[in-house]
Amino acid sequence: MSGQREIGAGINVMEFAEPITGRTIFLDSPDQVLDFIMSDDVESSIVISRGGTTTFVAPALTAGVRGLMTLQGAPESHLGILSREYGIPCVMSVTFTEGVETSRGEIIPADGTLVTLDIATTPRGRVLIDDGADNG
Amino acid sequence: MINSTIRKGDVGVSEPIDFQPFIEMFMGQVPGGPEGDLEIRRRIGLDFVDTTDENVHREPTLEEVDAWIQYAAWNVWGTVAQRASEGESGLIPRQEYESLAFVQEWAKTPQLMREITEAIGVDGVIELGRTSHREVGNKINVLRNWGLPMCPLIGRGISIHLGLEDHTERQGDIASVVQFARRLQHGTFGGGSGLVSGRGFVQQTLGQEILDRFLADEERLDDPEQLGIFRKFNASTELLGFLIHWDSRAGMQDSGPYPVPGGGFMIVREHFLYETEYEWASVAEGLPYCVIEAMIFRPDVPVHVAINDLGTTFTEPRDYLKHLSGVAVYARDRVDSPMSELRRVDAAEMSAITKKSNVGMLELYKVIAGKSREQKIRDGIVVYTHDMISFHAKAAGIWDSVKTTYDDWHPLTEAAYPVLSTSRAGEILPIVLLLEGGFPTFGAKAGS
Repeated sequence: MSGQREIGAGINVMEFAEPITGRTIFLDSPDQVLDFIMSDDVESSIVISRGGTTTFVAPALTAGVRGLMTLQGAPESHLGILSREYGIPCVMSVTFTEGVETSRGEIIPADGTLVTLDIATTPRGRVLIDDGADNG
Repeated sequence: MINSTIRKGDVGVSEPIDFQPFIEMFMGQVPGGPEGDLEIRRRIGLDFVDTTDENVHREPTLEEVDAWIQYAAWNVWGTVAQRASEGESGLIPRQEYESLAFVQEWAKTPQLMREITEAIGVDGVIELGRTSHREVGNKINVLRNWGLPMCPLIGRGISIHLGLEDHTERQGDIASVVQFARRLQHGTFGGGSGLVSGRGFVQQTLGQEILDRFLADEERLDDPEQLGIFRKFNASTELLGFLIHWDSRAGMQDSGPYPVPGGGFMIVREHFLYETEYEWASVAEGLPYCVIEAMIFRPDVPVHVAINDLGTTFTEPRDYLKHLSGVAVYARDRVDSPMSELRRVDAAEMSAITKKSNVGMLELYKVIAGKSREQKIRDGIVVYTHDMISFHAKAAGIWDSVKTTYDDWHPLTEAAYPVLSTSRAGEILPIVLLLEGGFPTFGAKAGS
């Protein structure tokens, strides 16, 4: 992962030997979730949601999203438990050091940002970007 | 003795609170796990968490009730502390309905527990607790042994925090709640700690006859395709169970780990799907009431397994499923299907159930998204208040007479609604669950 730099870190739910890479999308309403799962980008996307509960992103879990990040919650949260059962990489309570502001003032990567999740160890998971990548 | 005083009328959150020390240690002092169990018992001094034939057949003293409340404060912290700050759902106002349901349960279930006891007697309640020894796919289980006392206790703490009650009130109701739960726990475990937190986080409830059957029916998962079918089945049914139960764990239950001959262990998992108690569960029509997974693990590295009072499995290393060696899967088709009709589910049916579960989940997601915020809260209260005790009341033969008024909100719930139906619920719950004062005692002397 040389050439990449860290833009965020959180609590990694489960260890995966290999990092995963995908473009981020922030989902903030049930309608956005339903629109997202109808798109062609599900399996290449890393979804960012606010809470650590399960139900909000439930359709994304069954649709086969590549990875998950949350701004709140812990591996003991319902989403932490379910992501484990699905085998979907998930980093929770991520704090980002750069990005754009949500309507509530949270900092997150802009939609379409190509990120890599370094999830080789627990409890800490890292979010990396490559400045040379095409970030949307 | 642990200091559990609280200021009546402490309804506001004027300054940000740093919860982190209170998430890491109970009251910033006592750890979780078996070590914390020993320490909290030492601090309380009087042990009333352990059940005996003698102490479940009489009324508890006030000192015993206080001691149990103090242990409960630590147990609840350990069970849900990491969850307390998980935040909002975006689909279901979960902390709002959850906190209101706790208040409603505190208002209504003590009387219902007394009515159940009057109907079937103390020994009848203990016998109900034995259900989880001889049955799977029945919600009279360990999760309810925990939720039946803890939900009302949290509701009491919320009511006091909101200034709606005083901690000196309703001593008889607390005694009813604590002793009803202890009798169920005594039936489940036959004595000793009534809570899993006092049993090394091991939940070996099922009888040997059932375990032998599960082991004999094991199908190995050496074929990656078969493993994939099972993993999808496990995940999809768990997700549908979560959604039908309004994003709560009421739809699932793990027990174990049970030792397996030749090495390894078994976890028995239940996912409740077609729960006819809730009209929205019609999306699961055609699916079994409950699917049961006997999962046998034969790891080649040490795997530590802990199952908490909510029936949730936590392992270290966390990816326990990669050590899955074989499974036996069953269905209980209806809530009233006898155990003798427990039937095997093969790989083809697992795939069919997975497909139906995914369709039902998406359908229900859209239904929920279309509901008003208030209706979502009202539905969530129904889930919590029914799912904890209605099955016990049905077994006691009194549910039909109770249910006509059971869903009516108590004045205490009505009074709490203006605050708890807002985002304030998400601020108040962590305060009650994590900080001093959420589980006030009556002040009886209970050791040093």
